[in-house]
Amino acid sequence: MIAILPTLAEPQSFSLSEKLLFAALAMASVYSFWNLFGRILNKILQSKKDSSFRLFPITKRIWDFFWEVLCQAKVVRERPLPGLAHAFVFWAFCAFALVTLNHCAVAFGIGFLNPAGEFARLYFYVAAAFAFACAAGILGLFVRRFLVRPKWLGEQLSYQSGVIALLIFVLMATYLAAFFVTDAGPDARILWWVHTLTLLTFLPLIPHTKHLHLVLSPATVFLSRGGFAQIPPLAGDEDFGLVAGADLTQLVSLQAYYCVECGRCTEHCPAANTGKLLNPKEIILGVRAYLNNLGPASDQPLLGKYNSQEAVFQCTTCGACEFQCPVGIEHVPILVGLRRGAVNTGAWEDEHGGKLFLALERGSNALGLSPAERDKFIEKQALPIFDGTQEYCLWLGCMGGYDPKGREIVTAFARVMKFLGTSYGVLRKEKCTGDPVRRLGNDLLFQQLAEANLETLAQNKVKKIVTICPHCVRTIQEDWKEYGAPPQVEHHSEFMARYVDKLPKQPSEEKVVFHDPCYLGRYRNVYDEPRKVAALAGDLVEAPRNKERSFCCGAGGGLAFLGEEDGERVSHKRAAELVATGAQTIAAACPFCNTMFRDALAATGESAPQLLDIAQLTARGLPE
Amino acid sequence: MKIIVAIKQVPERDAQVRINAAGKWIEEVDLQYALNESDAYALEEALQLKEKHGGEVTVVSAGPERVGQTIREALAKGADRAIYVASNDLGSRDALGVARLLAAAIQPENPDLILTGLQSEDLGLGQTGVILAEVLGLPHASLILHVEKTETGLTVKRELEEGWFQTIELPTPAVLTIQSGGNKLRYATLMGIKRAKIKEVRQVTASDLGVDVPPVVLMEGVTMPHKQKSTQMLGGSPKEAAAALVEKLKFEVRVL
Ligand code: SF4
Ligand code: SF4
Repeated sequence: MIAILPTLAEPQSFSLSEKLLFAALAMASVYSFWNLFGRILNKILQSKKDSSFRLFPITKRIWDFFWEVLCQAKVVRERPLPGLAHAFVFWAFCAFALVTLNHCAVAFGIGFLNPAGEFARLYFYVAAAFAFACAAGILGLFVRRFLVRPKWLGEQLSYQSGVIALLIFVLMATYLAAFFVTDAGPDARILWWVHTLTLLTFLPLIPHTKHLHLVLSPATVFLSRGGFAQIPPLAGDEDFGLVAGADLTQLVSLQAYYCVECGRCTEHCPAANTGKLLNPKEIILGVRAYLNNLGPASDQPLLGKYNSQEAVFQCTTCGACEFQCPVGIEHVPILVGLRRGAVNTGAWEDEHGGKLFLALERGSNALGLSPAERDKFIEKQALPIFDGTQEYCLWLGCMGGYDPKGREIVTAFARVMKFLGTSYGVLRKEKCTGDPVRRLGNDLLFQQLAEANLETLAQNKVKKIVTICPHCVRTIQEDWKEYGAPPQVEHHSEFMARYVDKLPKQPSEEKVVFHDPCYLGRYRNVYDEPRKVAALAGDLVEAPRNKERSFCCGAGGGLAFLGEEDGERVSHKRAAELVATGAQTIAAACPFCNTMFRDALAATGESAPQLLDIAQLTARGLPE
Repeated sequence: MKIIVAIKQVPERDAQVRINAAGKWIEEVDLQYALNESDAYALEEALQLKEKHGGEVTVVSAGPERVGQTIREALAKGADRAIYVASNDLGSRDALGVARLLAAAIQPENPDLILTGLQSEDLGLGQTGVILAEVLGLPHASLILHVEKTETGLTVKRELEEGWFQTIELPTPAVLTIQSGGNKLRYATLMGIKRAKIKEVRQVTASDLGVDVPPVVLMEGVTMPHKQKSTQMLGGSPKEAAAALVEKLKFEVRVL
């Protein structure tokens, strides 16, 4: 049946001059492609090796490659319509690999797909379907970029993108048109040449534009660091983080070159959304500009002309950027890397930051208070001391041990544990886990804190830790690994979720909105557990941005300790969003979110909803 | 400018201090140590002077082996080299004895300026720096917040009572004891610590310095401060009780 449908027209014989012309143009095109692409590749390859990079276990990489590259899952999931349009362009390109090869071979009379044959005819039709979808897709993307213009794509219209879209459209159109002409006529020849010239123009443009990602991003999805927002260990005595070009590793350079400038990172960035200088997309492009102009061996500082120190220290390490990036760029290690470079060499001077560091150099907690205060709290609440016989070590953290609101959360959670009959104890001596200094890039202090704590835990033979602070959980479980084997640790939401059936359900009409803390959600993938717990206290409603897309409270990355921020406050923006849900209660699951929102709500005035941690909400339902 | 900073290692501010079994000193096992706070300010002042005028900053510290850690910390913050006076019997010396020890280590260096903290956070005698000046025969000033180098010597800002300050001029060489809070302290960095490893620490002993003396202090015992809380009930009618309370606040507690 398919044999009777028209097939692709191909010009039959090419004259010698035509052949020579094609060969010359093809060589020029490939040369010009390679000229720039080779240089870029060299910059990436000449960058420092990633000493902590391990290719294995490889199954996850293969899966990610299949799912995110071949299936385009992430692109589609995060932005369904443009994502689908993009997916069609991508799949068409895959389908076209064979078609294009054959197209070129035809010029020399060695075409291997015979348009009259069964297989080729079928293949051409499949490719035609993709070509059609692709042409429609590219038209859609064109309309979006030039007519709808979402602001994240940047103020400036990218004419390059327009040209590329046009070229892709012409490629598809000339391919499709060839079904409507015959081999013999001049039309087939004209179509062939238009298609060819378009192709040969397209190729050298790739490395010049963000379309470099056509070549690079499949590699990068495959070569990701392998963990979300993972901060790599420093490699050796002369590594202080990202100080200069010579510190850029191959992964960082590769990522800098394959950013497609889509702006998703910036769209979700709390700093960029509140008028700060920081713009994660520009950070990545700043590294690219540095590489282009100075190269990977330069000893010029990375912070200065191409990226600003001020911007880098506005990051809350919320991870929204990294989570959203469709090509798997890892912003957090880069941002923290740049901070490490500034802090480990003493180049960063900040009044509040300096105070925080000194407080932790000389004392035990980030709040700079005397540990006697913590002792008093433990005594007053009669919290049992951990002696090795109890199941859990209840880790207080700086907020739980010293902050009045944090203490209320600990007290409430202790009541819940008592009600459940779980045995637990607190340590007499605890130091800050080092979360704020780790994210601010102070490796010296972080190491001291991690080692001191690991020693205390080992001395006390702690096997399991539970804590109210997601930052403590993350730091203990992931970041301490560099210095020893931490005990098992979980967040109190995970603990309570296991026992929801045993905890009293409170008969109430109260509408409760749960705010996902970055370090519990994106960092730990825990979304349902705290919701299960919060649902004990009332009816859950959702904020417009929730779960993976939750918007930061502004405290992370050590920023809680850096004083007033410039511009609108992140916490105010998020608090307003939570208030707008109409909920009577905001349920938090992190003592930092809690302080941030407490201040933000106080500023909104009278009718603010109440703010409680999920442990407090749960404790409310317990018998006196 | 050639500057010497005399520093002392003291128990960390947050340390939980206990009395040792003999009851004659604090239990040193498990205790964390740090650089004495006003010495940290002295070091900061020295580093800033060096950054402005060039020269060299040398730290001097006496004590048992653990002092090495504090010396490295000072080197990490930017001191150029160190002299470590190894001695396990500091407790048996009084302030004069310690000052003699330090003076003997400092003298051959011929510094332009000697800085040290106003007083230590553990013993809090506040004498060592001043006696050091006497032993060295140099002019001195105490309670200094800020040091400025002039053509002929130094201009320094002293803290007086109740928010008053005094500015005085001094020739060099001189000894100054530094008050906390005059500067912003710098934080220790990884690079500083790594670089500190290759800096020179010269070790000397009391006998090398020729100040080996018999003990002059014998510790009788140490005790924890007594915590005392007492509640007095004021009886009588509310009016009488209130009057009694006013009486007490006025004449006993003296807050009214
Ligand atoms: S981690 Fe969060 S604050 Fe930092 S750049 Fe990314 S989105 Fe912005
Ligand atoms: S870093 Fe990722 S999300 Fe941000 S602009 Fe580049 S490709 Fe898009």
